[in-house]
Amino acid sequence: MTPSLRRIWIVFRKEVVDNLRDRRSISSSLLTPLFMPFFLIAMIMVMGRTIMADLVEQPLDLPVVGAEYAPGLMAYLRENNVNILPGPADPRAAVQEGEANVVLVISPEYGEAFQRGQPAPVQLVIDSTRTSSAAHIERARQLIGGYSATIAALRLTARGVDPGILTVLSVERVDIATPQGRAVIFLNMMPFLLVMTIFIGGMYVIIDTTAGERERGSLEPLLINPVPRRDFVLAKLLASLPFAAAALGIALLLFGLLFNLVPLENYVGIQMNVDAQVMLNIFWVSLPIVLLASAMQMVVASFTRSFKEAQTYLPFLPLLAGLPGAFLAFVPVKTSLWNALVPIFSQSVLINQFLRAETVAPVYLLISAAATLSAALLFILLAVYLYNREGILFGAK
Amino acid sequence: MITVSHLRKTFGKVTALRDVSFQAEDGRVTGLLGPNGAGKTTTLRILYTLLRPDSGTAAVDGADVTRQALEVQRSIGALPDSKGLYPRLTARENIRYYGELQGLSGRRLEERIGALADLLEMENILDRRTEGFSTGERMKVAIARALIHDPRNILLDEPTSGLDVMSTRSMRAFIRRLRDEGKCVLFSSHVMQEVSALCDTIVVISNGAVVIEGSAEQLLRATGQTSLEDAFVAALGSGEGLQQ
Repeated sequence: MTPSLRRIWIVFRKEVVDNLRDRRSISSSLLTPLFMPFFLIAMIMVMGRTIMADLVEQPLDLPVVGAEYAPGLMAYLRENNVNILPGPADPRAAVQEGEANVVLVISPEYGEAFQRGQPAPVQLVIDSTRTSSAAHIERARQLIGGYSATIAALRLTARGVDPGILTVLSVERVDIATPQGRAVIFLNMMPFLLVMTIFIGGMYVIIDTTAGERERGSLEPLLINPVPRRDFVLAKLLASLPFAAAALGIALLLFGLLFNLVPLENYVGIQMNVDAQVMLNIFWVSLPIVLLASAMQMVVASFTRSFKEAQTYLPFLPLLAGLPGAFLAFVPVKTSLWNALVPIFSQSVLINQFLRAETVAPVYLLISAAATLSAALLFILLAVYLYNREGILFGAK
Repeated sequence: MITVSHLRKTFGKVTALRDVSFQAEDGRVTGLLGPNGAGKTTTLRILYTLLRPDSGTAAVDGADVTRQALEVQRSIGALPDSKGLYPRLTARENIRYYGELQGLSGRRLEERIGALADLLEMENILDRRTEGFSTGERMKVAIARALIHDPRNILLDEPTSGLDVMSTRSMRAFIRRLRDEGKCVLFSSHVMQEVSALCDTIVVISNGAVVIEGSAEQLLRATGQTSLEDAFVAALGSGEGLQQ
């Protein structure tokens, strides 16, 4: 072993032993990853059920106030799979309190206006901010619009006019989204949650070995030892890696278990591949992020004077670094070689591909790893530079 | 042996050291006396390679502190201003860590830990985690880890601050013992009595410059005083920032 490797091993071993005895380091490495997969699965199941449970097949319950004024409309609705319910005394309050998703109110003037061929007044009482009612509201609107169009066509025909004249455009809506489509958004957040897990997993070790060392007053005596600063930086960085990698591993293990226990395909409506091999692939692909995350945190922590200060700044890092990847949840992006160059984003793309059993281009994989490792190297060099300055003794500036 | 010549150091607009020169010989205790803020800690930090001087030179056993930092670090044992330990490690583990960083290992290291524990009367706390140690116990661990590699030059920054009377007495005895072994001991203090009681050579420092330097007799003669403490006050122009 070269002297440098020996020194790095000494510092590495001390930091690992020291942090294994620290409740904060252990819990951030071992407990955070437990939370993420449960959070994700719960979101997918809740969203999959409430928003997009397949409503078309089921009869729509529609409370109607003044149903007696519009027998024709009622008959049309019943034909179209609607359960007409007696209307509540106060429709606004009923919608506000969530007793009804939508209430149809037919005014007493309806019959007279209808007879004279004038627009007959009806009201749909809705709350447009409540997303869980959106499907009900949309369906009630379409049915009433449909009735209106049917009657209009009949009236024109009775007057000898082709009803087609009113239809300028013939719009056919082809909705290719599966009813469960929106739940996929949450599945797409998995890479982001993994990135968070990696950052948090190593965070306390990084803080403890840098800002914590300064706060305890043990940094000054430590740096007097005949060890180049570079070796200290590398050893402390390496010491955080097992903690971050353990967090990633535990999270993936749990993701894998839960994905196989919960029939997720029913919720997300896509073919998914969640066997052990896929989870292992995701682990390998994410490893460069582990190094990058620790190096970034090392640089930021070198400026902070205390544990508390470091704890204030470090949690912003995964948010910033994970943001491009999080966009993937909402905007589909085609893989291209340039986006393989963006660290963390490229891994997010790859993780999504693995989960969907899509073919992964080896070139993309290679560039992704190389780009992320290069970025990590830059941060490591920056950390070494910062540790070689006198200011490292005092923090900040 | 430690040689310091015309050190100058500024932090932004603050001039910490203007002109500091002195020499600390082997087999002697050299005391840096001065009020707080005089530049004692900055001088020591330059000597143990944590700060680089703007100008001037400092050398330990002939090795330059800026150009031969690792060599200097191997030949000194330092008790700096911060004396923090690792609270989740035992006293033994704290000391062993520094020993390994100094290149010791195996039986030699363990024997050395045993010898220091014996010397510092700390066997009873050796295998306890240092969390909750008293100031005196912490100081013993800090000294043991600083001296684990048996360095020829020993630098101590305010080694008795916060210690009770008993601990202070044993610290003084320990410093004399190191001197008698032929070590070069340099320590800083703002306590006049301590410097008078211990030092063979006294360097009085104020506002980043050496005011007077020499043995007790030389200081008395130069200032025309009969007691050392009066000599310090006369040299500094005031006793402000010092402690009897």
